[in-house]
Amino acid sequence: MGIDRVEMSDAELVRRVRAGDTGAYGALVARYRDRLGRYAVHMVGDREDAEEALQDAFVRAYRSLARCDDPERFGAWLYGILVNRCRTVGARASRRRKLFVHEPESTAGGSTGADVVDRLEWDDAVNRALARLAPEHREAFLLKHVEDLEYERIAQLTGAGISALKMRVKRAREQLQRFLREAEHV
Amino acid sequence: MFEHAEDELIERVIRQLRKPVAIDEGLDARVMREIAAAARPARQRPALVRRWPLLAAAAAVAGLVIAQPWSHGSGVRSDSYQFVLLAPQAASVALVGDFNDWDPARSPMRAAHSGLWATIVPLAPGRYHYAFLVNGVEWRRDPAAPAALDDDFGAPSSVVTVGGS
Repeated sequence: MGIDRVEMSDAELVRRVRAGDTGAYGALVARYRDRLGRYAVHMVGDREDAEEALQDAFVRAYRSLARCDDPERFGAWLYGILVNRCRTVGARASRRRKLFVHEPESTAGGSTGADVVDRLEWDDAVNRALARLAPEHREAFLLKHVEDLEYERIAQLTGAGISALKMRVKRAREQLQRFLREAEHV
Repeated sequence: MFEHAEDELIERVIRQLRKPVAIDEGLDARVMREIAAAARPARQRPALVRRWPLLAAAAAVAGLVIAQPWSHGSGVRSDSYQFVLLAPQAASVALVGDFNDWDPARSPMRAAHSGLWATIVPLAPGRYHYAFLVNGVEWRRDPAAPAALDDDFGAPSSVVTVGGS
């Protein structure tokens, strides 16, 4: 009886959750929250929307745990759910921004005065440039360069072909460079 | 030369984006609460609502809540801990404590062999009060852990310190 610190693999935690130990799912949430959260925040842009997507992904994964064919690769499976949730939440957030507020690039892009860039921190400049990318370009860039996934894996997650993904990443790199150079020279 | 400079710019962007991002501290709790709510029979909810705010409030008044691992922020490491209780006659056992807002639905224990019940929870470093809820009504201290000193709040509980501090 009592308490023991335990080192458990994803597969073991998944097995326990499937057997009715709901609390074990908390260990999986704690294990993956920060890494998946980083992707969601960068992909969706708005922190509140990103956390909604992340929470939704965790809950959906729990409800669909029986369909996780390879519990050793729970993290990869969860990533796939999050990528889809970010697409849905991101699209909704984008529509909302278009309806109610100005797009952020209107201030970062070029015509608001030479002092703008001086006031922007580097973090803001990067986030604004990232937000200007097309969602599919942003998605491919983040999965490849920030989450460090192989193209084969990204293709499985996104449903896009490898050639298309390479082109998206290339376009994303070119556009990020252009947007950041523009910001430097405003 | 120009291409090299462009690559450096992108590498700088990537380094920036790879930095940890702080996630709202309540996300873990919200996920577990949503899962628990979906699994919990509706008729049980009023009883739970009556009981855990009292316990949580009592612990907070006594200054005993030092950390809340279900709601820790980014960068705080959580390890997995297994809680075990021998209760051969029990029909159900749940783990309740500071780490799950004293909500039995969030950490139901699973019956293993020979009347042994177990569950795993992630805990960040800190000191926590906890107890076992047997058959939904009987509060038990952990016989293998130090007793909390505030049993006079109405429910026996134990104390665990994680992280050696």
